[in-house]
This record gives sequence, structure tokens and C-alpha cells, in this order.
Amino acid sequence: MHIRQLRVWLVRLTGLFRQKNRERELADELESHLQMHIEDNLRAGLTPVEARRQALVKLGGVEPTKEMYRRQRGLPLIETLIKDLRYGMRRLTRSPGFTLVALLSLALGIGANTAIFSLVNTALLRPLPVERPAQLVSLTNATANRIFPTFSYPNYKDLRDRNDVFDGLLAYRFAPLSLSHDGINERTWGYVVTGNYFGVLGVKPALGRMISPEDDISPGAHPVTVLSYQCWQQRFGAQPGIVGKTLIANGRNFTVIGVAPQGFFGTEIIAAPELWFPMAMQAQIEVGNDWLAKRGVENLFIQGRLKPGVSVGQAQTALSAIALQLEAEYPEINEGKRVLLSPPGMMGGVMRGAVLGFTGLLMVVVAFVLLLACTNLANLLLARATERRKEIAVRLALGASRLRIVWQLMAESMLLAIASGVLGLLLAYWLINLAVAFKPPVDVPLYFDLHIDYRVLIFTCLITLSTGVLFGLLPALQATKVDILPALKDEASAGDPPRSWWKSGLIVLQVALSLVLLVGGGLMLRALQRAQALDLGFNPQNAAEVSYDLRLQGYDSARGREFQKRLLERVRALPGVRSAGITDLAPVDLHFGRDAVFIEGQQPERATNAPRAMASRISPGYFQAMSTRLVRGRDFTEQDDSNSPPVAIINEAFARRFWPGQDPLGKRFRQGGAESPLMEVVGVVQDGKYAGLNESPQPYVCRPLSQAYAGTNTVIVRTDSDPQKLLPLIRNEVQQLDAHMPLASAKTLAERLAMPLLPARIAASLFASFGMLALALAAIGIYGIMSYSVSRRTHEIGVRVALGAQASDVLRLILGQGMTPVLIGVVLGISSALALTRLMKSLLFGMSAADPLTYTGVAALLLSVALLAAYIPARRATRIDPMQALRNE
Amino acid sequence: MSDKTDIWQGTLALMVLKTLEAMGPLHGYGIARRVEQTSGDQLSINYGTIYPALLKLEQEGYISSEWGLSDNNRQAKFYKLTRAGRKQLARETRQWEQTTAILARFFAPAKES
Repeated sequence: MHIRQLRVWLVRLTGLFRQKNRERELADELESHLQMHIEDNLRAGLTPVEARRQALVKLGGVEPTKEMYRRQRGLPLIETLIKDLRYGMRRLTRSPGFTLVALLSLALGIGANTAIFSLVNTALLRPLPVERPAQLVSLTNATANRIFPTFSYPNYKDLRDRNDVFDGLLAYRFAPLSLSHDGINERTWGYVVTGNYFGVLGVKPALGRMISPEDDISPGAHPVTVLSYQCWQQRFGAQPGIVGKTLIANGRNFTVIGVAPQGFFGTEIIAAPELWFPMAMQAQIEVGNDWLAKRGVENLFIQGRLKPGVSVGQAQTALSAIALQLEAEYPEINEGKRVLLSPPGMMGGVMRGAVLGFTGLLMVVVAFVLLLACTNLANLLLARATERRKEIAVRLALGASRLRIVWQLMAESMLLAIASGVLGLLLAYWLINLAVAFKPPVDVPLYFDLHIDYRVLIFTCLITLSTGVLFGLLPALQATKVDILPALKDEASAGDPPRSWWKSGLIVLQVALSLVLLVGGGLMLRALQRAQALDLGFNPQNAAEVSYDLRLQGYDSARGREFQKRLLERVRALPGVRSAGITDLAPVDLHFGRDAVFIEGQQPERATNAPRAMASRISPGYFQAMSTRLVRGRDFTEQDDSNSPPVAIINEAFARRFWPGQDPLGKRFRQGGAESPLMEVVGVVQDGKYAGLNESPQPYVCRPLSQAYAGTNTVIVRTDSDPQKLLPLIRNEVQQLDAHMPLASAKTLAERLAMPLLPARIAASLFASFGMLALALAAIGIYGIMSYSVSRRTHEIGVRVALGAQASDVLRLILGQGMTPVLIGVVLGISSALALTRLMKSLLFGMSAADPLTYTGVAALLLSVALLAAYIPARRATRIDPMQALRNE
Repeated sequence: MSDKTDIWQGTLALMVLKTLEAMGPLHGYGIARRVEQTSGDQLSINYGTIYPALLKLEQEGYISSEWGLSDNNRQAKFYKLTRAGRKQLARETRQWEQTTAILARFFAPAKES
């Protein structure tokens, strides 16, 4: 029976095609039927006319029969659907201007939404690339007033061994690496992981084997490493014989034992390691930093696989019980510490809030843009439907159902929506590729696996269909709600107000929203301009910088000092070099350390609430290389060494903060703690930017490297010529001194400044492009509504002109009406922008978020665009010929 | 479609099948006449309703059609039973007999129990 039914549907489906032939056959069959019947009737003695009439009556009419037959033949619903779509297509191709605008604005909206959603998808929805990811949780350390994601190794071991809720608990830690193989030295990142890491995750090797618990028993015993698939492909040319080969990491030999599978990027969503090492090798990877036995060193991320049937709540209770034991056993370290669980991949959950906030904000902005595009199209479609008022009224009068006509109007909007959805998807694909190709200039293993997967596709389909309904349904309902009689007589019906409140409301909303976005963009652009003119406290032009880490290569301080001294000598001897110096704090980088300051002769404060200052260690000549002005005193010299009295150079902010109105030269202070040496101020330099371009002047202290050794170095080299050309030469000098020394970075100082400006640049371009989009949409919207209202009021305007109204009166009437909602929108937009842009303060480099120039500029831009959009239809209204308008009656 | 027309369509289909079994290949007009005659002119149908019924039976594969010449040398579309149609007819006949037998018992004068 079911098979029969299926057969019927299939046959009926084919009934949709070759309709002409089938129609002819049906006509022939009915004709032959009638002829046979007529012949019989004639034989029965009827007149020819009567014979024919009776045959027709008996049949029940030719057309009704055909209609019945057709209903059985094809699939009526689908047939009307196809008809409506064809009709919609014809209407769209007939007004290419409208179609283009509609397609573009919707496609932009859908594309932006898809791209942003793929970000949300990667950050929040897509699971980690491991076996049964739903069972995996991240552990977070929490005290009453602090949440931090890392644990010490001894605490980890106790949590691991004492719990009965996890199938396995693993730990890992990021490790900066200098990697040497085949004569190449590079800086990259790896993880040191516990021996159960790959086993608990269920990650199987692509080649060789993974790190096993046996590799992680006795410290230093198993110098082995696993490569990421990408590392194997890109650094080692996918050599099939890679397993068993030796490479040098941080100055030690390690044997490659395996390659991780493709697509496994570690256990954090945005930071991908290239190599994995057993945790027992941590002292070899982090040279001179052995923490395996130290309960106080909390530096490990922990993830666990819940036992089947164990809920997150149960696991948390069990872990809290262990935390209580650990608190009792080691109160000095574990006092008040509890364990929280969160989804894995977000640095123990601490990043989750920020990511949620950022992506949430972006989603809201793009959703608004899409909503604007929809409301606009709804307006335009309504105007178009109004042109067809008479036709619709005729059809309703003839008995067409309202539903039928609504559906027909909807077909057009669904077509538009679907076409825009496809375009939008292409646009998103392009945007995502652009975003993936972009590598921010920071020394972290940033990795963001954006791509369009099934979740993104479902999302795009959903928003496409809902936009189609959203901007199609309202106009369709509105258009079919006509008073048939006046519409047929081509009158504006009395009950239909010229403008309904929601249309003006839309304009207000559009104007306000685009104003907010444009103000945001404008502020960012102005701030960027301002940042160019910012007093950095140094000159970023004509300078190059290279960074390296002596500790990672196993240098002690004696060898390190020798390296620093010889490198400076060699670099200063390079052609075109004017000066060179070394610092341990790369300029304008993310530095968070501030050390407590104790001024000699002032009441000593407890270290916890002592005033703090940023501390840096430099070589002589550093300020010269940076072009930082020495305000008072002297620079460090070669004579300031470990045998001479400790000295320091401070900046003006330091002097103002600690010795207001006094001469700081010769004053003495300690930094750090009571055990640190008393330093004498020998020089004062101008204030500058140290950790970011946004900061206000902050106290800053420099000590000579010769008195306070540091192994993490940045060399600044100032030249007369192009600093870019200098980079390979400096690199060469470093290689001459140590062939295995990798450079963490090598760039011009100007390039470094690109990084702190990056968030502002991104925000500026996002705001500005969304704002322009919103402005274009608002202009289209105003134009659409004005044209519509002018076309509806042709008659009225005709009467006015006939009664003596001048063109200027008409212009004033129409413009006044059109600009009122715009003005309301501007006012509303300015007040919301004032409220909202306060949130951007951190991006503005000290500029006020209420910058009057930006506000007036944006408002003027918006008003003139709106005026233009309203003027075109208004001008058309002045040209109305009263005779013609009145004859329209 | 209301239940009534459903029942009517089902009955008409059965009549058409029975007619084709009795008469052999026949055109739509002939089938309609024959159905009317067989009912002793008790049943007055619009002949037009026969065509969707024929189309449905053909879609279900119970009958097939081809163009041919009528007794009066006129082009007409002839319908004939297929094997599936014969089986269906037998099945439907059995069901119909069962149904009428049951109904007959309901409407028969009540007997002493």
C-alpha cells in the first residue's frame, strides 16, 4: 500500500513536467468523449444543438472536468509555488535597481552575521578535537577573591591520585622554545605535558607513538618529543622518516617519537603548540627553572575526563573535598583554595567571560545591521506592493484568497532572501579566509581555526529564511489589507493614513543606529590619528630591534654578560649604525610587572601596599638608541659595574611622584624588597609609553644590566638609513656569536608600534564599515519611504498646486515631513552614542569619547545624506502636473 | 476533501475496475455509460468525474491506457486492467463483501438470542 502511494506521488511529480502535451491529450480525450456522447444523443433523436448541450451538461462542463483532472494529475501546491516563484523572478528582473540594492544589503548583513557566528562557533560551540569531548572539563583554582587557572605540580598529583570521579586528570603548560634542526634556529611554542595527556584525551598518533606515562616517571630520563602535524609538515617537509630523528630544543637533544594527528591543535582553543614534551623533562625545557617539587609554583593547566555517569556537580564536590584535605596538609600554600570546573579550552575558563563579551557585542552589532537591512527591504517592498494596490484589489474582488496573494508576495521576498543567503555565505567565506590569513605581530602561538562547518551552515540557513519572512510578511499583510472599493477607483482611501507610525519609527531607528556606529568609527579614526602624534618618549623611526632569550640557550650570567657586550660591539660597528643598546623590557609591549619602591629616609611601607614603579634593566647607550631625551644627570657608562655603587635612572613621572619639587639627582631608593640594594639616582629621562599607547605617564626605573643581569634581551639599533636593511646584518652578527641562538623577533621599531594600535585599527574598521553600511541602508530607507509617500499623495499635491501652492511650498511640505523622523533619530543617536562610547575609552589614546568634532561631523554627514535621499522624491513632487494629478480621479 | 467524496471515489474506482473486468478494454465514455446502466440508472453521475478516477487508477498502476479506434471509427483513449488491477479488484471485492455482510447483520431483524 505504501509503495503504491509512493508510486502515485512519483507519477504526480512527473506530472509537473511536459504539461503542454498532457493538456493536449486531456483536451483530445474529452473531445472524443463529447463526440461519442453527441452521436449517441443524435441517434436518440435529439436536435444537434440539444445533443451537444445535454452531452456537456452530463459531463459537468469541460473546464471544471479539466480542473478536477489537473488536480489529480500534478501536485497543485508545488505547481502554484513554482508559478509564484517564476512570477517573483520576473518582477525582480524587471526592476534591477531594487533587486541589486536588496541583494547587496541583505548579502552584507547575512555575510557579516555568518562570519561573526563562525567566530562564536570556534570559540564557544565547537568541541576540542579529542575523543568524547563532552566529558572533558577544565579545572580552575579559586580563593575567596581571586580566580586563577593554574595549579602546582604537587597539588596536581594529589588531585589526580585522590579523586574517584575522573577517568584521568592531565596537566600541561606552555613553554617557549628555541628549536634547532637542520641548521635552522627558530622561536616557537610547545607544551610540557603529563604522561597520561594523550591517553586521557584519546588522541592517536599519525606516526610513531605519543608520550606515554613511562616517559614521565624520572626527571630528565626521557628526552623525547611529539610533533604537531603542522610542525611535521611545515618544518620537516613531512619526512616519512621523522620518527627517531633528533632535534635541539632549548639547547638539549630530543628524539622525535611520533607525530600527532592532523587537526589536533592541543587543549586550548587559541594557542596551538608545535611540540609536546614529557613533564619530567621540564627542567631541561625551562632551563634553570625546576618546579616539579615546588607546591608553591602554580603554573599548570589541568583538564580531566569525567567518569561515565559522573556529573560536573558531583565532580566539583569531590574535588572540593580533596582541596579541603590539601588545605589542612599545606595551609601556608593552599589556604582557602577551592576547585571550580568549566568547559575546556579557555585557559581554565578565565578567558570565557571576555570571549563571551566580545563575540556577544559583535553578534549584537551585526544582528542590528541585518535587522536594518530587513526593515529597509520591508519598506521598499511595501512601496512596491502599493503600486499594485489596484491589481490586488481586483484579484481580491474576484475572489482570490488573501492567503494566496500574501504567499505570492512572499515568494518574491523568499527568492531575494535565498539569493542573498548564497551571496552572504560567499562573502563570509572570503572574510574568514582574510581573517585566518592575518597573523597579529605578537610572540604567542596564536591559532584560530575559523571555518564554515555544518553549524555555521545551519545558522546561515536559519537567518536567511527568517530574514525572508521578516521583511516579506509585514508588507504582504499590509498590502493585502486594502479597502477594495476605493482602491478600485484609484483613490487614496480615507482610512489609510499617509504615514503609519512604524515607518517613521523605522527611520528614527535607522538614523540613530547608524549615527552610533558612525560616531564609534569616527572616534576610532580620530584616535588613530592622534596616536600618530602621540609623544612616545622615543622615536620609532629609523630603528630596528631584535630579541633573544639567553636563558633558553642555557647561558649563565657571566657568559650572558660576555654575549651582550660582544654583540653590542659588533652591532655598533655595522655600517650606518649610529647607536645601539640593550633592554630587558621591549618597548611598548605587554608588561605587567611593577615593583615596590622604598625611598631612603621616608617611612618604609609594607611591600604589599608600597607604591610601585615599572622596572627595567638596560645597557649604556640604550636611551641614545631609542632617542629618549636625558633631562638631567648622566647615562650609564661602562664604569657602572658590579664593583661600583648601585645606580639608577628614573623618568620624570618617578621624580614627580616621589620627590615633588626636589632635585632627584643623588637621592637614593630601593626597589623590590629590603634585601635589594640602595640605588642612587644619576639621571632623569623624559616620560614615555612603556606597556601600551593608552597609558598615562607612569613611574619608571632603569638599572644597568651590569649591576642587575637579565637574560631576556631586546637590542635596539638606530641607523641613518632604512632599518629594514639592517635586520639581516644584525641577525648575522647574532649567528656569528652563537650559531644556535634563535631570535624571538626581528623587526623595525615602527613595526612594533603596529601591535598596540591593532585593537584600535580593528575596532575602527569594524565600526566604520558597519556605520557606512547602516548609513547607506538608512539613505535607502528614507528614499523608499519618501517616494512611497509622494506617490500616494500625488492627488493631494495636485490639489495644492492647483490652489496656488508654489514649488517651494511643496518642497517644504515633503522635506519637512521626511526630515522630522531623521532629526529625532539624530538626537536619539547622539544621546545613545554619548552613553555607549564611554565603553570605548580604553581604545581612544586619551581622547575624550565626547569629541565634539566627531559628533558634529557625523551628524552633518548623516543629515546631508538624509536630505539628499528626501530631496529627490520631494523634487519629483514639485513637478507634479496638477491637471494630470486631478484627472487621475 | 471530505470523507463522503473519499468514499465515493473509492466506490467509483471499484465500479470502474469491475466494469473493465467485465467488458475488456473500454474508453472513458463507455465506462461512464456502463456504470450508469449497471446501476439500473439509479446512479446519476457527472461523466466528468470518471476521468480523475481513471487517472488515479492509472497512477496507482491498476489500469493502463492507450489510444485506439472506437466502434464508430473514432479516436478514443482505451483503458484496460493490469495484473495488479486484477489482484486489487479481487482484494477489494472480498473486502466489500465482508463489509456488506457485517452491515447486513446489523440491519437484519433482531433474532432471539
